[in-house]
Order: sequence, then C-alpha cells, then structure tokens
Amino acid sequence: MSFEYKNWINALPEPNGVLAKIQIEGRSLIQNLGIPSREIENWRLTDLKKLESLLTLPISKEQVQQRTPSSAELADQNDAGVRLTLSPNRNPLQLITLPYGIRELSKDEIKEIMKFKMSKIKSKVDWTKLLNHATANQIVGLNIKGTNVPSLELIMPANASEFSSTRIIINVEKGSKLELLEVVIGAKKSAQNHLIEINLEESAELKHGLIGLGVSEASLLAHLSVTQKPNSTYSLSSVQHGWSLGRCEQHIKQVEGQAQSIIRGLQISKGNEQLATHSLVSFDGPEGSLDQLQKSAAADQSHCIFNGAIKVPQKAQKTNAAQLSRNLLISENARIDTKPELEIIADDVRCTHGATVSQLQEDEIFYLQSRGITTDQATALLLKGYCQEILKGLPANAGRWGILKKLLEIVKR
Amino acid sequence: MIRPEAQTLLEISDLHAHVEDQPILKGLNLKVKAGEIHAVMGRNGSGKSTLSKVIAGHPAYTVCKGQVLFQGENLLEMEPEIRARIGIFLGFQYPIEIPGVSNLEFLRVATNARREQIGKEELDTFDFEDLVNERLKVVQMDPSFLERSVNEGFSGGEKKRNEILQMALLEPTIAILDETDSGLDIDALRIVAKGVNQLANEDNATLLITHYQRLLNEITPDYVHVMAGGKIVRTGGSELAIELERSGYEWIDSDKNNQEVK
Amino acid sequence: MESPSLVEKIVTKPYKYGFVTEIETEKISKGINEDIVRLISSKKDEPDFLLHFRLKAYRKWLTLKEPNWADLRYPNIDYQDIIYYAAPKTDKKKQSLDEVDPKLLETFDKLGIPLNEQKRLSNVAVDAVFDSVSIATTYKEKLAEHGVIFCSISEAVKEYPELVERYLGTVVPIGDNFFAALNSAVFSDGSFVFIPKGVNCPMELSSYFRINSGDTGQFERTLIVAEEGASVSYLEGCTAPMFDTNTLHAAVVELIALDDSSIKYSTVQNWYSGNEEGIGGIYNFVTKRGQCRGKRSKISWSQVETGSAITWKYPSCILQGDESIGEFYSVALTNNLQKADTGTKMIHLGKNTRSTIVSKGISAGQSSNSYRGLVQIGSKAIGSRNYSQCDSMLIGDQAAANTYPYIRSQQAKASIEHEASTCRISEDQLFYLQSRGIGCEQAISMMVSGFCRDVFNQLPMEFAAEADKLLALKLEGTVG
Repeated sequence: MSFEYKNWINALPEPNGVLAKIQIEGRSLIQNLGIPSREIENWRLTDLKKLESLLTLPISKEQVQQRTPSSAELADQNDAGVRLTLSPNRNPLQLITLPYGIRELSKDEIKEIMKFKMSKIKSKVDWTKLLNHATANQIVGLNIKGTNVPSLELIMPANASEFSSTRIIINVEKGSKLELLEVVIGAKKSAQNHLIEINLEESAELKHGLIGLGVSEASLLAHLSVTQKPNSTYSLSSVQHGWSLGRCEQHIKQVEGQAQSIIRGLQISKGNEQLATHSLVSFDGPEGSLDQLQKSAAADQSHCIFNGAIKVPQKAQKTNAAQLSRNLLISENARIDTKPELEIIADDVRCTHGATVSQLQEDEIFYLQSRGITTDQATALLLKGYCQEILKGLPANAGRWGILKKLLEIVKR
Repeated sequence: MIRPEAQTLLEISDLHAHVEDQPILKGLNLKVKAGEIHAVMGRNGSGKSTLSKVIAGHPAYTVCKGQVLFQGENLLEMEPEIRARIGIFLGFQYPIEIPGVSNLEFLRVATNARREQIGKEELDTFDFEDLVNERLKVVQMDPSFLERSVNEGFSGGEKKRNEILQMALLEPTIAILDETDSGLDIDALRIVAKGVNQLANEDNATLLITHYQRLLNEITPDYVHVMAGGKIVRTGGSELAIELERSGYEWIDSDKNNQEVK
Repeated sequence: MESPSLVEKIVTKPYKYGFVTEIETEKISKGINEDIVRLISSKKDEPDFLLHFRLKAYRKWLTLKEPNWADLRYPNIDYQDIIYYAAPKTDKKKQSLDEVDPKLLETFDKLGIPLNEQKRLSNVAVDAVFDSVSIATTYKEKLAEHGVIFCSISEAVKEYPELVERYLGTVVPIGDNFFAALNSAVFSDGSFVFIPKGVNCPMELSSYFRINSGDTGQFERTLIVAEEGASVSYLEGCTAPMFDTNTLHAAVVELIALDDSSIKYSTVQNWYSGNEEGIGGIYNFVTKRGQCRGKRSKISWSQVETGSAITWKYPSCILQGDESIGEFYSVALTNNLQKADTGTKMIHLGKNTRSTIVSKGISAGQSSNSYRGLVQIGSKAIGSRNYSQCDSMLIGDQAAANTYPYIRSQQAKASIEHEASTCRISEDQLFYLQSRGIGCEQAISMMVSGFCRDVFNQLPMEFAAEADKLLALKLEGTVG
C-alpha cells in the first residue's frame, strides 16, 4: 500500500451523519486491507495505477456543481417522472415532495434492509463496496409501493478533480412495479464511487437502466447489489463508456430462487480507457432463471473486461441460466478479456454460456455492400444493431440522453 | 382375432396406482389374450397413459393395490429392463431424445438383450445391420436415421417411426402403443399402422391407447375399452369406437353407475 | 425404485490396479536438499549440464510458493517427508528383457501391458516405468531402423546428451511453476522420443507409469521432439496401488514440433483416487506443454482422466509457428471426493494459428470437477481462430461442475468462440433405455460414453476402446 493512499484515508473529513459508524469501520478496514492487488482474481486485470491515482483526489466537501442539463435532456421531462440529483453532502429528498407511491425510507427500515443484505466485507474482493463504506456520508433510501408509480430518474454528477461517493437503497414492495434510470455523469478528472442496493420483495418488478457517461480522465467505481424474493422480476440494462477507469460490479442474488433476472450490458471503450463489468448471479433457491447478454467493444488501445460468475448451489435445483458474452475488437491495438465463471452443484439445471471475440463479420459487411451500401455505412449499421440490442432494454425515459449517438461516435473512426 | 382357447398374456386386476400422492388408477381390470388387439380410449386425464407407464414400470408411478400378471408372472416386481426383455414393449407418446447415444448402437444393444432372454444367439454388428435394414422397410425409414443420436432432432413422425422400428426389432409379446397416432399426418399414420398390422400375429397382442377413431380405421381392434376416472367403464367391439367418435364421451358423466367389465 | 439414488450407487467401483508388487527396492533417505539432488544425479551417472540444470531448478524452487489459485484444498505436503528416488534392485544395466526381474514383467502383465515378445502389443512400442526408473522399452531396434529414438530419458541423457541438452527445459522453463521446478530438480525417469526429419513414426509409442512405493514421489519427465515433417502418436498410461496416504506425482512433459511436424499425445490417467471417504490417492500435479515452433506444425492433446485424488493439469500449446494448430480433447471423470482442476492454454502467437478445445467433465458423488482454460490471441496472431466447447454432466446432486474459460484477445482479425453447457442423465432418458431392455448400469454407461464420444474419437484406435471400458468400469457398481 502506498504512503499517499494512507494519507488520503487519514485526510478524509471527520465521520458524520447516519453513516458515521460504517465510515469508521470502513476506514479502519481499508487501512488494514490496503488496495487491491493482482493476486485477487477479480482485480487481476484492473489498471491498478489508475486505481491508485484516483485515491489522490480530494474528496468533495462542497455541494457538487449542479450540472446544467442540456436542452435535449430536459426536452422530454414531461413524462411525469421524478428526477433526483444526488450529491455526496446533501439529501436531495429534503428539497422535493415525492409523488404517491414513492417515500423516503426511515432509518430503521434502512437498517433492516442493510441487515438483510448482509453486506459484510471480509476481503479486498469487495473493495469497491468497502471504499464506499469508508467515504459515503449520505444515504438516500426510497420505498416503492404500487403498480402505477411514476418513473424515477437519479442523476449522479461529479465535480472536476474531486472524489465523490453516494449510497442509495431502494426497496420495491410486494407486487409493486418501478422503472428506474440512473445516470452517472463524470467531470474532468473526477472520480466517483456509488453503492446501489436494491431489494425486490415478492412479485415486485423493476426495470433498471444504469448509464455511465464518462468524460476524459474521469473514473467510476460502482457496485450494484440486488436481492430478489420469489416471483420478482429484475431487468437491468447497463451501458458505460468514456471512463478512463470504469468498473461496474453487479451482484444479483435470488434469495429463495424462483425469480427472474434479465441482464443486458454494453460497454464501449476508446483511447486508453479500461472498462470492466463484473457480474455475479447467485441462486439461493430453486427454479430461478437468468438471461444474460454482455457486449463489449474496444477501440484504439483500450481494454474491455467482462467477468461473469454464476453460482448454482445444491438447493438451486431447476435453475435455468443462460449467459452470452459477445465482444468486438474494433482496432488492432485494443484488448478484450472475457471470463465466464460457472459453479454448479445442483444436477437438475440448465446452464449454458458462450463467449465470442471477433471483429464485425466480413460477410455481413459484404452482404450490405452488395446491396449498394458503403463499407462505412455498413459498419455503422451493424454497430447500431449491435448496440441497440442492449439499449432497447433501457427504461423509456433514457431516450433523451442520446446514448446511441454518443456510442456510435466512439466507434466511427 | 379372438380365440377362446388362446393363452392369456396380460391380466390386470383391481389395479390402483398413484403419482406423487395423486391417485390415478382406481381399480382397473383388463385381460389380454394372444392374438388380440385391444384399444383403450378415453378423455385426457382418464388414466390411459398411466396404465401404459405402470405396465412398463416407470419409477414415478407407485402401485398401491392390485396385480399385473404377464404370462402368469408378477410383472410389478420386475425392473423395467426385465419387463422389456420378457416381451413387454411400450411405444412412447413422447419418445425422449438421448444426445450422444447412437441410434444404431442403442437398437443393437436392446435387440441383443431381448434375444438373449428368449434364447436366440447374439447378433454381431454385421448381422445386426442386415436385420435392421430389413426392418427399416416396415416403417419406410431412411438408413441415415441409424447414424444419428437416439431421437435427437427427429421430427414427431420420425420419432414415432423409430418407436415402431424398435418394436419390429424387439418382437415383443405384448406391445402397448401410447398415442402413437398423435402428431402424425395421414401418410405417417398409414405407415405406422401398416407396421403394427404387419407385426401382429396369433402369438402376440397389441394394446392401442388412443384418443381418436382414425387409427382404428387402419387397425381394427377386437376389443375397445373406455376409461374414465382411473378404470375401464365400458367394453365393446370395434363398433364402440365408431359410436364414441359420433357421440363423444358425454355419456360417461351422466352414467352414474359405471358398469365394470371383466 | 428411486432412480437418482440408483445412479449414485452405480458410480462406485473397486479399483482394479490397487495391488502392490513385493520387490526389493532401493530407496534413498527422505527429504530434499542440495545433497539429495546431487545424489540423484550421481546415481544416474549424469553429465554436468544436467546436474547444473537440477541445482538451478532446486534453488529456484526454494523461492517459489505452492500455487493455491485452483481452489483445490489439500493438507500441506511435507516435502521433507517424501522419498525422491526409489528403484527396484536389479543389476545396473539390462540388455534384454530376459534380465528384467520376472516380478516386474508379471506386474505389467497384470496391468494389461505385456512386455515379453510373445505377448506384447503388435503395433505399440512400450516404455515401462516402475517407480523412478524405466525397466524396459520394447521395439527399440525396429524403431531405430527408421531413425526414431524411443528410450528412457536416463538412457537418452547418456546416449544422446546433445539432443537432451538442446531441448530439455526449453518449453517448460525450470522456474515455470512450483511443481515444474521441483520436477526439474529431482526428476527420476521418463520417456524420450525423437523423430527425425521427414519420418512418420511407424508405430504407436506408449509409456506406462506405475507407482509402487507408497512413500515415494513420482517425478517423471517426458520430452518429445518431432523434427521437420515428422509425425508421432504417443500414449501414456498410469496406475498406482492403493495406499491410505497421499502420494505426490509431479511430472513435466515437453513437446516440441518443428515445421510441418505433428505430435499427438494421449493420456489415460487412472492413478489410485483414494477410497469413498477420500483417504489416500495420488496428488497429480502435472505440467504439460507443447510448443509448435515450426510453421504448419500441430500438437494434439487427448486425455482421459479418471484417477487421482486431486488432478491439477493444463496441457497447453504455444502456437508460435505461423499456421500451426493446437488441439485439446479431454474427458475428466470424478467420483467420491475426487477433485480435478484441468483444462488447457492455447497461446496464439503466430499468424493464422488455429486451436480447438473439447472438454467433457463428468462429476459424480461429492466430487468437484473444474474446467479452467485460457485462450490468448497475441497482437501478431492475425487471422487466428479458436473454437472451444466445454460440457459438464452431473450425476447426483452433491457433485460440483465448474467452468472457468479465460479468454483474452489482442488481435481484431482473429475469432474466438466458446460454448458451454451442463446436462445430467434424466430419469426419463434412463427409463426409455430400460424399457428397451437395457440395464441401468449399461444405460448410464452408454449415455456417458455418448457424452464423451467427440473426445474418444480422437484417441488412437487401440486405446479408444480401452478408454470406453475404463469409464464403464468407473461407473460400474452394485445394482442388484
């Protein structure tokens, strides 16, 4: 562990607020454990230099600058949805009247959910979460009840050259439904750390979009932890691009099985970016299902990483899980690492996984060319199709962020 | 053909069976003699398929009362493979796919297991191929089916023909065909029916389980049994099937005093 | 009848090769240090270069840590409690089979590998290794007529020192990993194969490894070189007696293929796997690697792994020559408390290189069976392709099947495809076969062998049937 890093921890503001106790514990543990190293399997490929440099940034003490949303982003804001902008030092719920169906969780409820999720940290494997414990001093807790709740949009902006972290807990009550869009927006040289914890009660449904819009030299370390009760449906579509170091961890646990998880992920890297998605789906009961599709495309000298673990213990009989990792190398110097991980102890299960790494298929391009389309057009068309398969899973209000356009700009050379 | 002096092959008396605590057969009686063709008809859920599975010894079904004798021997005490070797054949409604296991090898092993039981010599690969090519004609199947895995990727009709091919090779004493006609077009149905007719003789017997009259237009049964509520409620000749086709099964509901036939 | 429990019952069987040969053995004292390394070298009358090789490896080994990433838990191995050299006491040099102790010949007879002229396999040359030494190699003269060298590595060190020095340790460097370093320091015997330019080896070559002593580690070393345009097919077999202690087996195999040559290396591994409670059995920690140095060269690994308490091995191909080909076909069956962590690495360096991986894992009992593989396409490996298929079959609900395929590509004009699936033997499949008169055991064995067919097809003809039988035997049990 480098000296500066220890200093950085020591220089963090005095623990305060509802999370003070967690901060104290987190800081002491992070001091003891140190920064992840290459020996830890799920950090092995991470650019540790970038990770270390992120821990030299001063932590945001002031309000995060309200980023002025572009007119396009605001254009659609007539869909009766709720938009909250998160800040590390201020509870956004104080400024807003929540609509029917959404209410703030009480401290006791938050404690209860945290206990249920048992986010005990033992090793550096969970370092992203640990970093959040050490640094976050605000928690936004929301409870969702009803089937006709307005869609929710959470914006997580950053200040340039600062480190900020947020923590969010969302509970979706029995039989309730929600569309949730989270947008993380980087600022120059900023670093962000977000911990998002979601609990779906029985028969609850959540359509979740998670968009990470990075800018040059910005970093993102996000950990998403979802617990699902029986008959709940969780559908995640995540998209990230533009981060110098982007790491999105997605842990989904079907606590008693019998739930449905659908994961769609897309990351497109350029320059010397490193983007990583680490997913872990565990079935702690029978008859759960998973449908997972992860796509990565790497341009320039960039590096995309996908690590997708699926755990099916003995009690998870009749699990049906399918995972597919599709990767595109767009330039000669880019790099792709993909690793599915399947651990199965139950015998009556259907588990399949597949992975491909290739460039755009020449015969597909040729087919389009033979119909009079130029190579560039053909390439753009194919890439558009490649992205849209993931983007179409985003909540409806994601349209205004113009993601597809941004993604296509990256891959257009 | 009905011959009073013929040997009794199968004798079921007061058979009760359940699956996962759900009683399905509730006191079924049936007697089949050599040379006879029986048809068992009835609505979905009347217990027809259960009857066939119990005779073949499917592990999911538990017999709690009654007996099944095959040529005087207690069938219920035997493992499914023993039943097959002594001459019981079940043509499945949904033949299962077994990836990786070659159809040809499967047929050879099964045929030799049966041959050993009845004191015939084992066939080597070459002799078996001759036999199988000859029997393929019965079901008008292409030899390329032999190279594939058991039922894997077969169409519904191909699976059924593969069943009849197995029957032609194993030469069972009693063949139970469970909804063999379901999912077949009229040409495939004729091929299957022709196969069954060709294989029937005075020493063996056939038990057809079916919904519809159309198979019985091709294969004329000596007896038609109607099942309801887990037992046989009416027995008649081939004319009963025609009557059922015309008037349906409604009469069962009104007929409170379901007559039992021995 | 409860089918699942029946299936579980079926997968237990007695180990047929568990006997011990009563023979006087010369053993050196337990433990490892520089003196022991020197002693082994002097016992084998080795040239200086090899002693230096061993000492360098030993010093390197001292600095290395035992790997633990494979998640194979086992009690600490006390490396000072192992005997590093054991040999049946015989006169120094055996010119012919007549001089070999009849007890040894009998042992190999019993293992199904007859060595004497009347009974030996007609188309297979065999090198028989007993504990630390090779006791006989058949058909040496006939092979020599074709310029093929097939002998024990100890003999090669004496007869062809320049060849051994040129190639030994060039594919698996002495410090490659903990077990490879240990092997490089103390390896006792093994086989050496050299196929000169343009020669197709006229017969199958085979080494048979037999561990007899319970307290002796087995550290064999195999080196196979195929010169330009040469080809060879080689098979190794392994068995060991039943001891209630664990025996360490840390072998190193190096294959070198020059331009247009091809090496096919097949393994049927049936070391003692321990009993139902997991007592005893071999720790099989093996480093196997082949290097396709030449253009259009080909290395193909086939393995049938059924034995050992713990297996840790990743037969790999370094595809250096342009258009070279690497293949890996594997069946791994684990039962009781066995653990296997096996797979392959395909390192694509040259242009238009191709690799194929087919892995079939069958887990029964409370065993754990992992496929771990790496496909890496280097930045210069333009036009390279890989196809991998990893299937697992689970028998019973206590066994674990894990799949960890690592994929890394740095070359846009390359393609990698990986597919994996998990299946089991369903009750309905079993019933279908039973209802056609096929017994339960045979039905399972048919389905398992059907599951493995893609791999068995890759084994040399003589051994495909044997492998099938071996699996059937492993699955054989106590159905009444």
